[in-house]
Amino acid sequence: MTQAEIGDFFLTDALAPAHSAPPRASTRVRRRPRWGRGAILLIVALYFIVPIYAALDFSLQNIQGQFSFSPLTQITAQPGFASAVGLSFRLSIVTLVIEMLLMVPTVIYVHLRLPRFRRVMEVITILPIVIPPIVLILGVLQAARPYQWISSSPYLLAAVYVVLAMPFVYRSLDSGLGALDLKILVEASRSLGAGWIATMWRVLIPNLRSALLSASVLTLALVFGEFTMAQLDLWTTVPVWIYNSSSTNPHVVTAVAMMFLIAMWLVLTIIVSLDRTHRRAKG
Amino acid sequence: MTTDDLLATPGDTATRTPVQLGAPLSLEGLSRTYGATRALDHFSLNVQPGEFVALLGPSGCGKTTALRMVAGFDRPDTGQILVDGVDVSRIPAQKRDMGMVFQSYSLFPNMSARDNVAFGLRLRRQKGASRRQRANDLLELVGLAEHTTKYPHQLSGGQQQRVALARALAIEPRVLLLDEPLSALDAKVRAELRDQIRALQQRLTITTLFVTHDQEEALSMADRVCVMDRGRVEQIATPAELYAHPASAFVAEFVGVSSRVPVDRRGSAIILFDRSVAIRGSAPAQEVIALDALLRPEDIVVHPDTMGAGVVQHRNFLGATTRLEVGFADVVIKTDVRSSESDRFEVGTRVTLELAAHDVLVTPRRVPAPAPAQD
Repeated sequence: MTQAEIGDFFLTDALAPAHSAPPRASTRVRRRPRWGRGAILLIVALYFIVPIYAALDFSLQNIQGQFSFSPLTQITAQPGFASAVGLSFRLSIVTLVIEMLLMVPTVIYVHLRLPRFRRVMEVITILPIVIPPIVLILGVLQAARPYQWISSSPYLLAAVYVVLAMPFVYRSLDSGLGALDLKILVEASRSLGAGWIATMWRVLIPNLRSALLSASVLTLALVFGEFTMAQLDLWTTVPVWIYNSSSTNPHVVTAVAMMFLIAMWLVLTIIVSLDRTHRRAKG
Repeated sequence: MTTDDLLATPGDTATRTPVQLGAPLSLEGLSRTYGATRALDHFSLNVQPGEFVALLGPSGCGKTTALRMVAGFDRPDTGQILVDGVDVSRIPAQKRDMGMVFQSYSLFPNMSARDNVAFGLRLRRQKGASRRQRANDLLELVGLAEHTTKYPHQLSGGQQQRVALARALAIEPRVLLLDEPLSALDAKVRAELRDQIRALQQRLTITTLFVTHDQEEALSMADRVCVMDRGRVEQIATPAELYAHPASAFVAEFVGVSSRVPVDRRGSAIILFDRSVAIRGSAPAQEVIALDALLRPEDIVVHPDTMGAGVVQHRNFLGATTRLEVGFADVVIKTDVRSSESDRFEVGTRVTLELAAHDVLVTPRRVPAPAPAQD
C-alpha cells in the first residue's frame, strides 16, 4: 500500500458516511486548491535561483561577453588563488578543531551538570551575532597587538572564527544532546568502567554524529565565506582574494564563487547522504 | 564464577562447587542533604554475599539516593560504603565494579545488543573473539540469542532491559544494582522479567540491591526487604516477616492493605469487635489510651447478617478475590472474599465481621485532618 493510498483511506474513512461513494471520489472533493502554495514556492525559488543563474551565466562568458568555459579553466592560473584557498582551508581546519575541542565538552557539561545554565549559554552564544564583526575584529586586533607571535599569525583569525561559529555550533550540539538521555547514558557508561574520555569517545560522540556533522558544515561555510575580519587583519583568504580580483577579472572571480558554492553544496549532500546511509544501516 | 561457568550445562554445574560472585555490602550511617531536604538520615544496611535486598518505600524516601551512592554517582555527606570490607565511598563510579540496570532504557543507541553487552568487556581489554562470544552467551542467558545484532530501537522495552541486565552481568560485578528496572514495562512483561531476574540472581548468587516502590515486586523477589521512609530505615526483614509482623504503622500501611479502626485500650490489650485482642509487637506507651488498630483484609471474616451493623459499600473485583469495603458508623473496613462467593455480598448487604487474628498491630490514633472551611 502506498502512502497516498493510506492517506486516502483514512481521509475517506473519517469523512464519508457508511455505504457512500467510492473513496477516491470523496478524496477529490476534499482536496484544496494548491495554486496558492505553488505560487509562494515559485516566488521563493526565483528569489534564490535568479541570482545563482545570473552568476552562473556571467561565469561562463569570456571578456567579450560570449559563452565560454575559459573563466573556469583560468581559475587555477590566477595569481594568489592557490595560497588563498590554502589559507582558508587551514583556517577552517584549525577553527573546526578548536571549536569542537571547546564546545563539545562544554555543551555536554552544561547539559549534564548545569542545566539551569543553558539559558545563559544561549544568550552568550548569541553575542557574536549581535556584535558587529568590525567591532569584534578591531577589539581582537587591539588586544592581540602586544603579543607578536599571535598578532602576526593568520591563526588569530581562527580564534575569531571560533567565536563567530559558536552560535551555530552551540545550537546544533544543544539540539543533538536534547535528543539523548544524556545523564543515563553517561551513568551507564561509567558504571561499566568507562572514564570520561571513553564515555565521550565511544558513547556520546557517536550519538552526536548528525549534530557534529551539521556543526562542521556550518563552520566550514562560515570560514570560507567570512570577509570583513580577514580583510581588516590583512590576510588574503578566498573571500578577500575574490574581492581583490573582482575588478581585474570579474568572470573568473564569479566562476570561483560558483565553484565554491557548488563544492559546499556537494559536501553538504555527501554528508547528509552518509548520515542517512548510516541510519538506514542501523535499521 | 565466570560467565562460562554460568552457561555450562546442568550436568556440568552439578559437579562444580558453587562459587559466590557477589561481595558483602555494608552501608554505615549514610546521610545526605540536598538544600533543606534530608534525603538520607543515618541510613545503615548490611547485605550478605549473594543476598537480594530490596529497598522499598514511597517516592522521595531516599531509596534511589542510597543506590546511587553505592553506584558512585553521589557521595554521602557522612557515613561509609563498604564492599568486601573496603570503603568505596570516595572511589569513582567507573572503578567500583558495580553492574547497574536503570529505570529508563539505558542502552547505547549507536551499538547493537551484542556491542552493548561487550562494552564493559572492551574497556577491560578482553580480546575481540572471546568478548563477542561472551556477549553472545550472556544474551542467550537472558533469552535474546536471536537479537544480538539488533539496535536498541529495534528491541521492545522488555528486551532492552534484558540486554541491560546482560550488560551489567558481563563485567562480573561485585554488586548488582537495579534501579526500578521494571517500572517502565507493561504488567505481563514486568512479571516475566521479574521472575527471570530473580532466577538469574539465584543462579549467579550475586549480591543484589534492588530499588522499587512496588511492594509486590519487593516481596516476590527479595530475600530481605528494607522499608524506608524519609531517609530512614523503618524495618529490614524477610518478606513474610515484614508482612506478618510490621514494625511500625508506616510499614503496616505501606506493605499490604490495612484498615484503621479506632479502639480503646484495656491494659496490654484492646477491645475490638467486642473482643479483647492482644497488641502485636511493642505497644505504645501506657498513657496513650486512644489507639488505632491496623487490620489486614485476610484477618477478617465477613458473614451476611440482616441484623449486622456493617453495610457493604463498595466491591472491587481483583480476580480470584473480591475486596469489600464495609461501612460502619464511623469507620470503613476492607476485607476480601473469594470471587466465587461474592454474589452474597452485593452493595447494600448487611454483614457482621469476625476477627480471625489473635493479635493486631496498634498505633496512636490518627487525628483526622480538619474539614476545609466552606463559604
